[in-house]
This record gives sequence, C-alpha cells and structure tokens, in this order.
Amino acid sequence: MSKKKGAISQKHPQEAPVRIPRFCAGIFLLYWLLIAAFYVLAGEQLHLRQSRGALELPAAESGTVELCQGAVVEQCFTAEIQRFQSVSVQWGTYYRPNAGTVAIELWNLADGSLLLSQSYDAAAITEGGLTTLTAREPIEGIYGAPLLLKVYADCQPGSAPSPLMNQSAPAQEGFSLSLNGAPAQGTLCFSASGEDYIWTGLHYWEFAAGFGAALALALIYIWRRWAAGKHSYVVYALTALKQYRFLIRQLVSRDFRTKYKRSVLGMFWSFLNPLLTMMVQYFVFSTIFRSDIPNYAAYLLIGIVSFNFFSEACGMALTSIIGNAPLITKVYMPKYIYPLTRVMSSVVNLGISLIPLVIVCVATGVEFRKSAVLAFYFLACLMIFSLGLGLLLSSAMVFFRDTQFLWGVFSMMWMYATPIFYPESILPEEFKFILRINPLYYFLKNIRMCILDGLSPEPAIYVQCLLMAFGMLAAGAVVFRGSQDRFVLYL
Amino acid sequence: MSKTMIEVSNVTMRFRMNSDRILSLKEFVTTALRGKLDYRDFTALEDVSFTVKKGETLGLVGRNGAGKSTLLKVISGILKPTQGSVAAHGNVVPMLELGSGFDFDLTGKENIFLNGAILGYSESFLKEKYQEIVDFSELGEFIHVPMRNYSSGMVARLAFSVATMVHPDILIVDEILAVGDAQFQEKSKARMMELMGGGTTVLFVSHSIDQIRDMCSRVLWLEQGMVKMLGRTNEVCDAYAM
Repeated sequence: MSKKKGAISQKHPQEAPVRIPRFCAGIFLLYWLLIAAFYVLAGEQLHLRQSRGALELPAAESGTVELCQGAVVEQCFTAEIQRFQSVSVQWGTYYRPNAGTVAIELWNLADGSLLLSQSYDAAAITEGGLTTLTAREPIEGIYGAPLLLKVYADCQPGSAPSPLMNQSAPAQEGFSLSLNGAPAQGTLCFSASGEDYIWTGLHYWEFAAGFGAALALALIYIWRRWAAGKHSYVVYALTALKQYRFLIRQLVSRDFRTKYKRSVLGMFWSFLNPLLTMMVQYFVFSTIFRSDIPNYAAYLLIGIVSFNFFSEACGMALTSIIGNAPLITKVYMPKYIYPLTRVMSSVVNLGISLIPLVIVCVATGVEFRKSAVLAFYFLACLMIFSLGLGLLLSSAMVFFRDTQFLWGVFSMMWMYATPIFYPESILPEEFKFILRINPLYYFLKNIRMCILDGLSPEPAIYVQCLLMAFGMLAAGAVVFRGSQDRFVLYL
Repeated sequence: MSKTMIEVSNVTMRFRMNSDRILSLKEFVTTALRGKLDYRDFTALEDVSFTVKKGETLGLVGRNGAGKSTLLKVISGILKPTQGSVAAHGNVVPMLELGSGFDFDLTGKENIFLNGAILGYSESFLKEKYQEIVDFSELGEFIHVPMRNYSSGMVARLAFSVATMVHPDILIVDEILAVGDAQFQEKSKARMMELMGGGTTVLFVSHSIDQIRDMCSRVLWLEQGMVKMLGRTNEVCDAYAM
C-alpha cells in the first residue's frame, strides 16, 4: 500500500500542489448555496405534503335515499389531516335529469361551528360524479376532531339525485352514517383531503445549520491535518483528482470520438437515438396498448433517457477493465479511472439526449416550474448509483467473463421491472414489491414528478435516494478496491 | 549523485495458477463441484533485493522466463509484490511495450495527447512539446491520419517519440531499441544516451549483450526468479556469456 501511494504522488512533480484552504472554503460556500437553492426550489413542498390521513373514496354500492326536500344524509367522521382542504361526495342520478339545489355542509361537532357549506345545481350532477367542497384557506385545528358532513336538498321527488354509499364498509370508531335521522349500516361515498406539515421541513434551517456545523468541523479537521503535514484521505483523493484530470478528460473524449468516428451523423446520434426510440415506443404503446397517462410522450422520453443512461453506463463500465487490458498490464495508473471515465462518457451522452427531452416537453406543453431544476438532483443520484454498479460489474467481469451475458439478461429484467413505458398503476398488488425494491423506480418517479407535475417530493425522499445512490457506490468501491490488485493476473 | 532512486527489498512475486485458467462462473462452479479446483503456485521472483542510484543504468539479463519483465512490472507499479516492497523515488515512465496506449481509430495527433496523458504528462507540457514529438517521429503529414493506416514502424516511432519526450527520473525500458529503420535506431539510441546523460536512472532489459555492454553501468543477472549475479557490467556479462 505504502508503495502504491508513493508511485502516485511522484508521478507528476510538475503539477501544482492542492490548495486545501481554498478547497475547504469553497466546499463550505457551496454547501450553503445548495441549501439556499434547495429551499427556494422545493418551495411549499418542503413544508407540506399530501396528508397521510386523507380519506379515500369507498367503492359505490348503492344509493342512500332520494334526496328530496326534507331528506337529510349525515355522515360523522374524523380525519387526521392537519390542514383540511376539501371534501367530496359522490352522487347517483337514477339515470334521469334532475332539478333543484343540493347543499353540503361540514360541521365541527367539537364546538358546533359550521366550517364549510356550498350549494350545487342538481341538474349539473352526473351519475357517479363528485361535488367537491373546497376550503378557501386550509382549515387548521380539526385534526382528529369529530366532523359532520350534512347533505340535503330542496328537490321534488322524481327529480332528486341521491348520494351513493358503501354498505359493506366495516364500522370504524368515530364514523357513523344516518339517513333521515335513522342510523344506517355502511358509509357515505365521500373523500376528504388536505395537507400535513413536514416536521423536518419546518425545521429546515435548524437541520441545515446542524449539518453545516458538522461540515465546518470536518473541514477544519482536514485543514488542520493538512497544515500539520499529516496524511489524509481527502488530500490524497484531491491530489489524485488534480493529477489525473487531464487523463480523465482525454479518455472521455477518446470514448466519445471513437464512438461516432465512422458514422456520418456523428454525435448527432446521441441526440437522435432516444428520440427515435421514443417515437417507436410512443406509437406502439399509445395505439396498441392505449395508456391513459397524461402527456405520454414526455413521460416515456424521460423514462427512456434515464434508463438508456443507466444501461449504457453500466454496460460500458462492465467491459472497462478487460477492454483496457493492454494498458493495465503495461502502464500504472489507478484502475478506478477506467470505469469512472466510461460512466463520465455516458454522462456526456445523457447531457446531449436532454436536448430532445426539453424539445418534446416544450412541444407537448409541459410547464417548466422551478422544481424541474430539482430533477438534476435525482439524475445525479442515478449517476452515482450507476458508477457504483459499474465498479461492481467491471471487477466481476475480470474474474468471470460470463458476467457479460448474465448482465444482459439482468438488465433486460430490470428494464421491465421499471415503469419506463407503462404506468406504475398497472402492476397488480402482489407485484408492487418489485417497485419498492427497485432504486431506479424511485429515481425515475421523482425525476418525472419534478418535471411533469412541477412538484418537489417531500424531504425524506431526497435523503432516501441519496442513501440508495451512495450505498451502491460504497458497495461497488469496496468490491473494486478489494480485488483491483488481482486484476492484472486475470487479464 | 548518489541518491538512491529505486529500492527493491526482498521482493517475492508468486502467482497462483490454476492448471487451466478459469474465466467463467459456470466453469468455476462445475470444477469446484468436482473438487478439481487445484492451484499451483508459480514463483516468478524470489527474494530479490537491490538498489539503483541516481544516474545509473542498470541492465537486466537472463534467459526467457527468468523474471525480468515481472521485475520491471513490479517496479513500475503494475504488479503488486506478494512479499517485500519496492520504493521508487521520482516519476517512473515505463516503456514496456510501445504503443500499448494507442487507439488505432484516432489520428496520430489525438494519440499523442492520449498516450501522453496515460504516461502522466500535463496538458501544457504536451502542447509545448507537440511539434518536437512530431518532428522526432518523422511522421510529417501522417500525424493527421487515423493510426490504423500506419505501418508498424510508424507506430513504433511515434510511441518512442512520445515516451522519451520527458526527462523522467526513472525510465524502464524493455527491449525497445530495435525500433524503425537503421537510421531511426541510431537516432533513438542517441536519444537514450542523452537521457542517461541528463541524470535519468534507467532500467534496461535486452537480450543483446552488446547493447548491454554499450549502455549499462551495472548488470543484474536473474535466473529462475533469483538474483544469480549483480555487479559491474563486464564481469556479469562475461559470466553470463559463458
């Protein structure tokens, strides 16, 4: 070990030494810039998320009562929603035109106050349609409080609609339905939604300051060690990075140049490839399978671009060690450079294929909100993840050459296990676990959320994705480090 | 002038060799199941120790398979010794097989930068020396042609030119002086002499005793991985030639 380090630090005496103080200050500044940028970009979603206590609409089984003048349907319920926003009721019309006015009221039984009320034209109600009562300002302070939803109308018999109900719903604490004052079995078909505060988001600046302080301590420690002239891994890594920067750039540009060397359109292929794949798949899946995803073209293209990057990076890294065998057996350089440069070449390709993605998004009317910038965070996670897997695969490939074929099959399975061209909702419940254990699903889902929905995922998701990415990198690095000295014997 | 540049102490290099190299998971599992995973140890170097001082040119002689190339690879950091340690003080430029870093789809110019980066030269240095490298290699206009169209002599000339353009502290040379035509061979020999005169420490492997006598100040004779003799050029060469 000591010998190897010697060789590295002596290779380039002409290079300037690393400037640790500048590096430390830069990192600290960058941290605060990122923290501030994230605060701005994440916006409201940093503090609020869709409430987990939201009530889902039960399946409609039958009507309650014909809601003529004097009839009243009352549903008591509680909801664990911190900022109550809306409640909806589902209607049946007896498949006839109706007339009159229906009213919905939401009462707080704890203090007997009327929270929300609204009237609707019965003629406008459709079979299975919903009427939604939305609060102008989210209502706070009714978390878990007993609430009453009251529905009545002034319609004439024969032209009155009826709220739908589910008779087989199990009885729940705090929930009860009464029809015209008489208790009834089951529950009204209604749903309630709102937002909850996110504890970590509310304490964002405290967290940021805490991590910032820890970072500052770590940087000061590195600085002190460096000033005292002791060996440290950070300084070592930085020196290596500085020394091999030129080599890395040369290798990346070599990959890039040889890839398109003999093709007429050259690098234009990086641009064209995902676009053509998308057009074929778009045609196949939107005409043959009929998916109901809004803006399917953009949905599909994001999936294709992300997965193409992943499979290209891993596939190139896989052969990076054995492909460079003539070099590895003749010249000394850190071996991680080979998989690293292959992944970096794929990053360049990814950058190019983002251009058609932006074009398609604009053409299909995606509104870019500020959250779209956050998609880069998840792309970065995907890159780190791919690098980790690439390190793992490249070292496995040296010892077992059939890794290549196994990976071919495995990456195809992985492609189908990731919702690239299908909506995640088509998976049956018993196979949903496939998505839950698939890191690519999380990266992809959040990239789409940031771009297509214009929403930022909740803070915990960021940490989750980062952990998955760095977990893979750590696993790959450990395997690679442990086996790299034996590579040359197997090449 | 007596600074120690290379210190090789008690280096042993042992390869674990399977009777037939297993390179697939399937083979590995099937042979392991049959209980046939037998390994034989092959010792390429055994307890080799020596030091080389600054400015010295050490020649390595020995029969095929004596461990010369393995020793060079250990010193240049490509192989990690099983036991013992190697310390090299200064930048090492190994010239084990010329042109191993070339990509034949790229032009000569692109390859100068690629190969230069692999050998550890900086960008500014390469830009500065670029014209010198091209001139030395005598490639002329061919420098802008993809290397797959080069003759083998042209490849070797370019490789030699790139590798010797620096003044490395330690240069490791494995049989590369037979490059190009007679004229270029003269030129490359002169270049090597110039490097050695400039204080570069050289490790030099050759099967030509005449070359060794010509260029080296000391000679190490390896036989079956062990040091058979280490001493003044004439003494060792005389003993080896017998």
